[in-house]
Amino acid sequence: MRARVSPGIAIILLLLAGFVLAAAGAELLSPADPLRQSLLLRLREPGFASRTATYWLGTDDLGRDLLSRILYGARASLLVAALSVSVSLVVGTALGLLAGWFRGWTAVLIMRFVDTMLSIPAILLAVLTVAVLGPGFIKLVMVLGLTRWPRYTRVAYAATLQVAGLPYIKAAEMAGCGATRILWRHILPNIAGPLMVVATSEFGLMILFEAGLSFLGLGIQPPYPSWGSIMSAGRQYVTRAWWLTVFPGACLFVLVLCVNVFGDWLRDRVDPRSRSR
Amino acid sequence: MSDAPALVVENLSLAIGPAGLVDGVGFQVAPGEVMAIVGESGCGKSVTAQAIMRLLPDAIRQTGGRILLGGRDISAIPERAMRAVRGQLMSMIFQEPQAALDPLTTVGSQIAEALRQPLGRVRGEVLRMLRDVGISDPERRIDQHPFELSGGMCQRIMIASALISRPAVLIADEPTTALDVTIQAQILDLLRRLAIERQTAVVLITHDMGVVADIADRMAVMYAGRIAEAGPTAEIFAAPRHPYTALLLASIPRLSDVPKSKLAVIEGRVPNPSEFGPGCRFASRCPRADARCAAETPPLRPLGAGRLTACFHAEPPHGTQP
Amino acid sequence: MNTLEITGLKVHFPGRGGAPVRAVDGVSLSIAAGETLGLVGESGCGKSTVSNATVGLLSPTEGSVKVLGTELAGASRETLRAIRAKAQMVFQDPVTSLNPRMTIGEAVGEPLLVRGLARGAALRDQVGALLEEVGLRADHAGRYPHQFSGGQRQRIVIARALALRPALLVCDEPVSALDVSVRAQILNLLVELQARHGMSTLFVSHDLAVVRHVCDRVAVMYLGRIVELAPRDALYSAPRHPYTKALLAAVPEPDPVTQRAKPRVPLEGEIPSPANPPPGCRFHTRCPIAVDRCRSEEPAWRAVGAASVACHLA
Repeated sequence: MRARVSPGIAIILLLLAGFVLAAAGAELLSPADPLRQSLLLRLREPGFASRTATYWLGTDDLGRDLLSRILYGARASLLVAALSVSVSLVVGTALGLLAGWFRGWTAVLIMRFVDTMLSIPAILLAVLTVAVLGPGFIKLVMVLGLTRWPRYTRVAYAATLQVAGLPYIKAAEMAGCGATRILWRHILPNIAGPLMVVATSEFGLMILFEAGLSFLGLGIQPPYPSWGSIMSAGRQYVTRAWWLTVFPGACLFVLVLCVNVFGDWLRDRVDPRSRSR
Repeated sequence: MSDAPALVVENLSLAIGPAGLVDGVGFQVAPGEVMAIVGESGCGKSVTAQAIMRLLPDAIRQTGGRILLGGRDISAIPERAMRAVRGQLMSMIFQEPQAALDPLTTVGSQIAEALRQPLGRVRGEVLRMLRDVGISDPERRIDQHPFELSGGMCQRIMIASALISRPAVLIADEPTTALDVTIQAQILDLLRRLAIERQTAVVLITHDMGVVADIADRMAVMYAGRIAEAGPTAEIFAAPRHPYTALLLASIPRLSDVPKSKLAVIEGRVPNPSEFGPGCRFASRCPRADARCAAETPPLRPLGAGRLTACFHAEPPHGTQP
Repeated sequence: MNTLEITGLKVHFPGRGGAPVRAVDGVSLSIAAGETLGLVGESGCGKSTVSNATVGLLSPTEGSVKVLGTELAGASRETLRAIRAKAQMVFQDPVTSLNPRMTIGEAVGEPLLVRGLARGAALRDQVGALLEEVGLRADHAGRYPHQFSGGQRQRIVIARALALRPALLVCDEPVSALDVSVRAQILNLLVELQARHGMSTLFVSHDLAVVRHVCDRVAVMYLGRIVELAPRDALYSAPRHPYTKALLAAVPEPDPVTQRAKPRVPLEGEIPSPANPPPGCRFHTRCPIAVDRCRSEEPAWRAVGAASVACHLA
């Protein structure tokens, strides 16, 4: 029953822990203030040492330390992803549980709405909403969270329908449990596995969405750093200052890859259990 | 037995990783004979059947023994030739006939496929086979799909497709477990009749002692990967020699026992492969076990009249025979 | 007063082609205090539907189900909840009968907890006593279902059903999913518990030998109706209905001598669809002795000796 962790997964888990620590400890780890500009230190290459500090990953077009900006950018990425995933997880699961438990018209209404939501390209919806509401951290989280819940609803709905038909739910009814207790104690813990798998894959997607929106100038607003906006700003210097696009891009790539591999591993761990009995 | 056996299994051992699943299982089946392998879940009866068909899941390896089909060792046959052996010389039927049939193909085509012929060319033969397995109105049924048929009819179709090529051996893995009793009785009658008429050697895998009593000529009782006892069905039921067989038979409610009386119980549970010790695997639950049973594996030894048992205490003291 | 009184019960489900599936179509039976009634039949005969309707997990389309005199048909949620304190259920598959994310102690104690009957240390003590009563250890209450074997799980399910000290226990195929040797343990336990607590039991099974072992009276169902209801010994020694006879003949007995000497009563064909039951006697399409009258006229219930039979020719 004990989880066997292969060396590959161990590396992935270590890398993920590294990203989380970097994001959480950005103040401690950053060699410089990510917002402090210095026109004298514009576009310095990685490893450049001034009299006061060493710029390990170089500086950007406003002379800010890139390493510090990437660390703070990791915080923005993870925070936006975590919060928006939480919002959509809660909203989507609640609606899926309701649809699966009450079935009938409730289910028809909710699931039709889900179908409608899923037929709108999510990134387009996010871009339009931000364009109308204007950018901002909370708005970004809400926009991402409230456009991405339908996938959870689908999974929660199917899983609830399946679990609700099992004898232990009948037994809970026989015991005298009310609907709230049955949903909360008997159904939710037993549909959590597949929902977590969805949440992980969505987490990777949210990181990409945040980077994409920030790249387009619709996400985290300057001067605050985000990998997307760093890359966006670095785009025009690609030939002169490759580090401005390569380093945040590499971070984005590695983080999303780790999240996705972790998600696959999680799915393999969750699935056999739900498939066998 | 004067006939040369159609199937011989010698000292078959199977393992999953380091754990042994089946340990030194051997038996033979003559043409026209029904040999039952009976045991509770996890005893190794189904993997034994899969090993005979060479259809083991990837995780399970054969670690020893031989399987002789008409005197020929099939472990030497390459996989491509084995495909011809399956279906031509040896067929298998399963517990869930509806799941084993292709839902998109008519039953006639599926039976014809066992002959490797298009249905058009062998239609007459398929119709004869359908009639032979007791399908009424075969002209209509031949062009139907499995979902249009009941479970009992699907099992008849499975049997038809398994036997149309006249294989020497039929492996029947719990063929009636998913069926109702009245349908089960029909299928068992059918299997017995076809075995005799077509001189097919039948290996019947089952957990149901009633099914064994009904159609098996001989039986082998398996426990935790080993044969506990084997021999002619009538003799084993009349006087089981292995304590496991005796307790198992005594634990079944019968139409002849006293209602609400206490049924015999086997204490404890079947050991996992990781818990197998050096001795008899039934020792921890056995009322007759002594120190020797826990230390030493009892060999499967002959007791006369074609009977074999793997127990040091197979000759019970007077008066304790259940 | 009878513990259970079912009169003219009908449970129909919406069918695919418009015609309703008449899963249960006019069933009447009663169970006296302390009595065990067996309900046997093949798959699709409606026996599980009857058991679900008995505890209010399905509502009757027509007819009446009374537990200790209280009507379930059309009962309010509160009434249903109150009745379920008196009528509990044991399911077929012990694996899916227990919430995998709940300890067995929580599962067994849940009926007491949610009804406010016990909590804290008192609840723990009662759960411990219940586990011991079914042959498990009280200190295993903190374990999860996957740590137990199938037979042990069925004991846990039984302990949960006993928690409210029900007057009626409905057992729906309680041993069908278990291995042969484990089956005996659970049957012994059920017989013992019943003798100790004197509860009434509705025992649903397809296995005639098992039913004979635990029941006082037996009802045989076919296609949504009871065809014969008789005291155990009368039913097994002198079955009246041709379907009962065929069922008994079809049971493979674990004894080669009697089994092979047994006359075969071959039943032709398959069970018709409950969405479109045959007219007249529902069994006539498979009955070996059916006459013209059986095809047109529905047989009435009548007493033949100790049995009640629905057959023109019994």
